[in-house]
This record gives sequence, structure tokens and C-alpha cells, in this order.
Amino acid sequence: MRSIAIYGKGGIGKSTLASNIAYALSKFGLKVLLIGCDPKSDSTINIIGKHIPSLLDIMKTNKNPSIDMFLFKGSNNISCIEIGGPEPGIGCAGRGIIVGVNYIFKNLNINDYDFIIFDVPADIVCGGLAIVVKEKYAEGVIIVTSDDFMSIYAANNICRGLNTIRVNAFGILYNKSTKNGIKYVEKFSRKVNLPIIGIIPYSEEIISANKMMKTVIEVYPNSNISNIIKSISLSILNIKEGRIPNWLSINELEEIFYENS
Amino acid sequence: MSVIIHPRPSPIAAAMYMLRDLDVDVIILHGPSGCCFGPARLLEKDGVKVFTTALSENELIFGGEKRLRNILKKINELFKPKLIGVVGTCASMIIGENIKRVVEELNLANKTICCNVHSGLGDNTIGAIEVLKEAMNLGIISKEEFERQKYMLEMATLLEKTRGTARLEYIPNSPGDNPKKVAYEIINDIRNNKEVACILNAKKETAFLFADIIIVLNEIKKKIGGKIKFIANLDPNIGLPRIRNYSKIILEELNRRGINIDFITGGLDEYPIAGEKAKEIVLNSSTELAIIAGIPHAVAIEGKVKTIAITSGSRATSNLKSLGYDYVVNEYGAHRVTLGKKYIHRSILGNAIRKIMRDIS
Repeated sequence: MRSIAIYGKGGIGKSTLASNIAYALSKFGLKVLLIGCDPKSDSTINIIGKHIPSLLDIMKTNKNPSIDMFLFKGSNNISCIEIGGPEPGIGCAGRGIIVGVNYIFKNLNINDYDFIIFDVPADIVCGGLAIVVKEKYAEGVIIVTSDDFMSIYAANNICRGLNTIRVNAFGILYNKSTKNGIKYVEKFSRKVNLPIIGIIPYSEEIISANKMMKTVIEVYPNSNISNIIKSISLSILNIKEGRIPNWLSINELEEIFYENS
Repeated sequence: MSVIIHPRPSPIAAAMYMLRDLDVDVIILHGPSGCCFGPARLLEKDGVKVFTTALSENELIFGGEKRLRNILKKINELFKPKLIGVVGTCASMIIGENIKRVVEELNLANKTICCNVHSGLGDNTIGAIEVLKEAMNLGIISKEEFERQKYMLEMATLLEKTRGTARLEYIPNSPGDNPKKVAYEIINDIRNNKEVACILNAKKETAFLFADIIIVLNEIKKKIGGKIKFIANLDPNIGLPRIRNYSKIILEELNRRGINIDFITGGLDEYPIAGEKAKEIVLNSSTELAIIAGIPHAVAIEGKVKTIAITSGSRATSNLKSLGYDYVVNEYGAHRVTLGKKYIHRSILGNAIRKIMRDIS
């Protein structure tokens, strides 16, 4: 069984990539489990085609729900769970992830799956959001970033968190790539000592598929973007080991964008 | 910065005690049901109705304001309290609960003291100051009284850090000296005509226990004579009405027994500074033995005259010993003994002295 956790700045495309990678892996014949850890419960929409009830919502009234109450099968038989969490502005999403993930791993036979993907909200801002990798539920992390400063800033913050808690990262997914942006991501990748696993360009097909609540591979199976995601998924599958990333000071981070080298 | 690694009092508990001093009818702890269980039970003994919102895992994830709203509403309808206190806890404050918003939504803001504290804020007095600030905002106490109380609490914190149980990284527990042995010391010194100062420097309701030493020393005086002067922080005109009343009750009881306090050093909430006055009185006299009850470390006369300290708590006892007080008696659980009682309660040392005096006669 392999497992990864996807981290990155909010809105960077983690959930879209997570569902597309899950779909691609399932197409390779793997039994895939996609676990959405975002309180918005939107990680699995592209697989199921709609929102599914979240584990934590179910646990409000049933402390010990059976697996079939919170695990749903979607496209290509991919298993999906949404942990859920509080509405914006109240409660504690981090605590929710701790409770939800612990419950899943206590009750679900994870060895039934070939590949588990965790879609984790934002960067590692607190202990709760780090639980997935801290407790080794996921073997390592894939960091999603675009080439803009704030996105790389968030990626660096994730590297810092992983360095602190001594957790491996597998590499970087460069999403929404632009014509001149690769140099920034490459510099960052070198400095934090993580490989770029793949480059995903901005895609109208992805936007179109998202509107249909489907993965791009399902809607446009022969498109260029689908082939890119399939190729990246294969690379992820073949990663043997990760490494603890370095992290950069704010000055070092700014140099990526402003130095003439 | 060194961290104190022995257990310390909590700002939550301090907030609850201060709410009691302000005569709230009910206190609602917004947190898991086990939070501050000990102080809650003691305050119930003292007549305050204490409730908890009993937050569980669900509320910690999804928020507990709805639970607080329901409980606050129910308590208000059921008990019709004139004054309510709502106190935060670690759990509710960490997840960002807004106590005040709930209180305002229920139109209870004009009779509810909201206190956003948790145990990670540092000094316990922070909780008490928070309550006082809110009480001032509600017009329950004046700005002058708030400033006076705040100063006293800050001085109390300073005292704890310089001479109390917050002065060292770790202070072990100690049972203190044998009360019988200390009782003999006192009786023998009085019998040998030594000049004795009996100092009550007590904190609030604990005076109901520590004032017993005044009664027993007076009994000795009546029986075998002796030169004893009484010094006490029992000013009935200082502090919140409840605290003034404690002084009044104690003074009346002492009066009934024919005891006159020679020097009043301040009110029962002024123990952090009243000790300084007591020290001056003792050092400007020919006192040979000082018996200090309550918060003895506020009366810094160890090493200058023979000292017998009477306090509560095995860590406080150990601290006084290490400061150099000659004898230290631990009056176990002063709060537990005095809460809910409004009369001078017999103390361990007092009883040891009484027993010896009976045997003498």
C-alpha cells in the first residue's frame, strides 16, 4: 500500500489534482482511496459527482458510524471519504482532522487499498493539519505550487513544517505553469532540495471538467492535459523514497524572484 | 527564562473566585465538564451555583457557542440570577469561542460578566483582573476600586515571584513542623515572658481559619499572662462588600471574646502590602517571637526575630522553611475548611495549643 498527502496554498488546485491523480491511478488498475481533509468537503466531488456526507457530520449523532455510512464509491470504483469539519469561523478544523483520520484508520482496513491520497487543506498551519503525516498515515508529502510568490511562500512554509516534524516530501507539483514561471519553481526546488515531479499547465479542459464535477481524464481522456496527469501519476507511483526538505529564510525566498542569476 | 514545573494556580480558578467575591449568583464554565472541577465544587460550598457547558469532541470541532447559548438561556429562566459570570477555559478559548457575542444575543449583557481566560495566560491573577475589568465596565465597581484591586493583584503576583511559591523552578512539598512541638514553643515563650507579636496577614476567607491563632493566644494570655500584641489585616472598610463583611464578622467575634486588635494593617485583600506594615511594627518594637498566620512570606522578618509561620499548603510550607522561618505549621486545606463558613474555625495549631493548655490546668 502506498500513500501520499497533498499540501499547498489554498486555491492552488490541490483537490483538482488529487481527484485527477486518483482517477489516473485507478485507470492503471489500482484500488484507490481518496480522503478529503478539507472542512469544505469538496475533494471528492469530481469522483462522486456531488457532495457526500462527511464523517464528522455523521459522527455528530453517531459516535461509531459503520464504514458504509461514510465511505462512498465513485468513478472507476474509487473509494472516497470526506472528513469534513466546522463551518467557517467557528470550532477547530485541525481537531476535526485528528478525530476523523484517527477514526478512519482505526476502523478501515487500509491494506485493502493499493494507494491512498489525502487532500489536506492549505499549508501545515497547526498540529491538526499535520496529523496525516506526523502520525505516518501518509508516507510523505507532495507539495503543489504555482510560480507566484505567495504560492511558493506557502510551499516554503510547508517545507519548514516538514523539516520541523521530520517528515519526508516526495516532490513538487508545479501547477498552472506559465511561460516564464518555471525558473522560479526550479530555483525553489533546488534550494529546498525537492524534485519537480511534474508540470501542469493552465487548462481550459480542467475548468470545463470541474464544472461537470468530473476529472479531466474522464471527460477528455485523449487530451494533452490528461496525458500529462497520467504521466505524473505514473511518476508518483514509481517514487521510491522521499526526503526531508530544506526551507528558506524570507530573504532567500525573495532572492528567487529578484536575483539576476 | 526558567519555567516553574510544579503545579500552579490557574487564571480560570482565579476568575471564578473573583466572581464569587463580586457576589454573582451563577458561574458558567464554558468548556469540558472536568475543567476546574475542584474550585467549582468549593465555590458551590460557598453558595455559588456553578455550571459547565460540558463541551465534548463535537463542540471542540464544530464550535460550542450554540451549547453556551442554550445553557445560559436555561439557567437564566430557571434561576433568574441577578448577576452571572461566564468564564472561558483552555478548550473554548483555543477554538476561538466568542462568549460575549452569545451573551449579547441573549440580551444578558447588562448582568453578565464575561471572562475570556484560559490556563495558558500565565499568572493566575490575570483571570481575576479580567473579571474586575468587566465588572468595572458593567458599573459594578468603580474605576478607583478597579485600580486598587488591580494593584493588589499585581503586588500579590510580585510577592509570589519574589518570596512565594513562584520564586523557584521547583519547590518540593513538606508537611511542616509538628503542631504539638510548635504549640509548646509558643506556650513556653509566653510563659518565659517573651514579647510576642501575633500577626494575621490572611487572604480573604482563609482569615476565618487563621484568625483562630488570635483566639488561642488570648486564651493563653488570660490563663498565664504574657506580653502579646495583635496585628491583623482586618480593616472592615476596605474591599468588596463581601470581603469587608468577612473582616466585620471576625472583628465582632474577637470583640465578643474581649480581644482587641492593636494594629490594623489593611483589608483582607491587601495581604501583599499589609505584610510590610506588620513588619515595620514588629521591627520597631522589642518583639522576640513573631507568629504569622495566613501569608507569612509577605511579612519578611525571618532571621530578624524568632518566627513561627502558619500557612496552608505543603508547598507553601516548604517554601517558608527554605526562606528561613524558624517553625512552619501547615493548616491543611484552608480554602476547603473555610468556604461556606462565616465564623472563626478551629485550626490545627490552635487545637494543639488548647490541648496543652487543658493539660496544664
